Amino acid sequence: MTAEAFNEELYWSVIDILNGLLTGTIIGGYYAMISIGLAMTFGVMRLVNLAHGDFIIVGAYLAVVLLNFLPISPFFTLTIVIPIMFCLGYVLQRVLLNHVSVQAMERKGLSANYGLMAPILVTFGLGIFISHVLLGIFESDARQLKNSLAFSAIRLSEDLNISLLRFIFFGLGIVILILLHLYLTRTHAGRAIRAASDDAEVSPLMGINTAHVYGLALGISMAIAGAAGVMIGMIRTFQPFDGPQFLLIAFGTVIIGGLGSIVGSLVGGILLGITQVLAGTYFGPSAQLVGGYMLILFVLAFKPQGLFSK
Amino acid sequence: MSISEHKRGFFAEEGRGGKRPLLTVSELSAYYGELRALFDVEFQVMPGEVLAIIGANGAGKSTLLKSMVGMMNRGKTAHTTGSIDMRGRRLDQLTTEKIVDAGVTMVPEGRRLFPRLTVEENLLTGAYLPRCREASEDKLVEMLDMFPRFAERRTQIVSQMSGGEQQMVAVARALMSDPQVVLFDELSLGLAPAIVDDIYEKVQQINQAGVTCIVIEQDMKRALRVSNHVLVMLEGAIVLEGDPKDLNEDQVSSAYFGSEIGRASA
Repeated sequence: MTAEAFNEELYWSVIDILNGLLTGTIIGGYYAMISIGLAMTFGVMRLVNLAHGDFIIVGAYLAVVLLNFLPISPFFTLTIVIPIMFCLGYVLQRVLLNHVSVQAMERKGLSANYGLMAPILVTFGLGIFISHVLLGIFESDARQLKNSLAFSAIRLSEDLNISLLRFIFFGLGIVILILLHLYLTRTHAGRAIRAASDDAEVSPLMGINTAHVYGLALGISMAIAGAAGVMIGMIRTFQPFDGPQFLLIAFGTVIIGGLGSIVGSLVGGILLGITQVLAGTYFGPSAQLVGGYMLILFVLAFKPQGLFSK
Repeated sequence: MSISEHKRGFFAEEGRGGKRPLLTVSELSAYYGELRALFDVEFQVMPGEVLAIIGANGAGKSTLLKSMVGMMNRGKTAHTTGSIDMRGRRLDQLTTEKIVDAGVTMVPEGRRLFPRLTVEENLLTGAYLPRCREASEDKLVEMLDMFPRFAERRTQIVSQMSGGEQQMVAVARALMSDPQVVLFDELSLGLAPAIVDDIYEKVQQINQAGVTCIVIEQDMKRALRVSNHVLVMLEGAIVLEGDPKDLNEDQVSSAYFGSEIGRASA
């Protein structure tokens, strides 16, 4: 091998790795957005929300509806989608999920096991219900939120570039995670959410109404899911039954990063993203998902509590 | 109980010592499912006093305190009957968070701090009620003054602290809601005697600041020493009540163990 050919090869392997790290990190930011809501509802209410992926798709379709009426950029739909999703989440928790929680089952004189199982079944049913309602309204055509940035890229060098849109979403994701962190640590309501997550039985002694706090938690979870949905809708096409694949990504991210940690969700998302992209680069596109699941299995086998759980 | 008896408690202007009671508990019974744990408990709590409740394990002391802060209102799993009146307001009909808002709170058995929150966050969570939020920072400073040991540890996660320190945080957290009445459930459980002395010193301090205190205490001598009034419970009922100065230890221990065993040991 000539020196020139060797240099060429070295150059491309560096580019491959850099590309994997960069793209993986960028994707990880959006994986974190997809998963943080799931981690939060589990952390606070021990709720395994199987409808989480469907909530993400609802966010994307809400943007579709808004764009039908308002001649705005899909970015601005976030300002309407986020509050609507928050309200939906709050109401859903108070009128439905609070009535099947561990505490509710206890009030009915049933074992806590019912309270762990019932919400899983309810959210499973809810997910199916939501996707069928979406199918009824929007039919099964693939949709996308059209925007002018879809094909723009940031060029870092001749052979290295990243999607501008994904980069913006990465930044937006970080901003949302920081805001969530500040909310949870600096406000009375945020601390109440964490307190109820630590000890729901004693938190009423602080004057905390757990039913309300749980409503806030699902509201926030759905608001972030909705934001993630809008972002997904701008990057790729979506259909009413796409929810479960995002639920899987969210589960994966949460398993890697550990529950109840915002940093964990971000790092878990980034690790999953990088693994997928590198696996795809070295072993072909079909290895992408396998690579991701290998990482999840690896973490489950050796650190089942996740890399960042306390 | 007849209605007239009930009303006497309800509207009583005068209780012990000629003062108007702050809390009047009438015919209070508590149930875990079908199992009855309290049997028509009746007593009054005078403003500004330290009331000690003593009794063997399973006598219903903790259940009584839980009932007073609404923590026994759990549908079919646990419920209470009877009334708890606070100057005309029926606490037994309120949820725990409303009772705390009304000025009655509890330091639960086993401390029950929020383990993943820092000292400061645990305290601020105690000031969650809207009426406490504005003054929460001042109150925090007040608590750090009262418990100087926290000052340098305010950002520490509470699960890393010793049992005694955690108990102090639990006491301070309860005070953050600016209560009129604090119920202390088994303050000394699992703590070294020297630390328990410290904690009871704080209880005295809190009481001198005008807060009415109700303590459950396993150590009978300590209970008689720190309190103005004692209730002795046995099998879910109050079997002896009085001023600790007027009660002798034999009387209390025979009530504590049930008369037969008490007499035998005395």
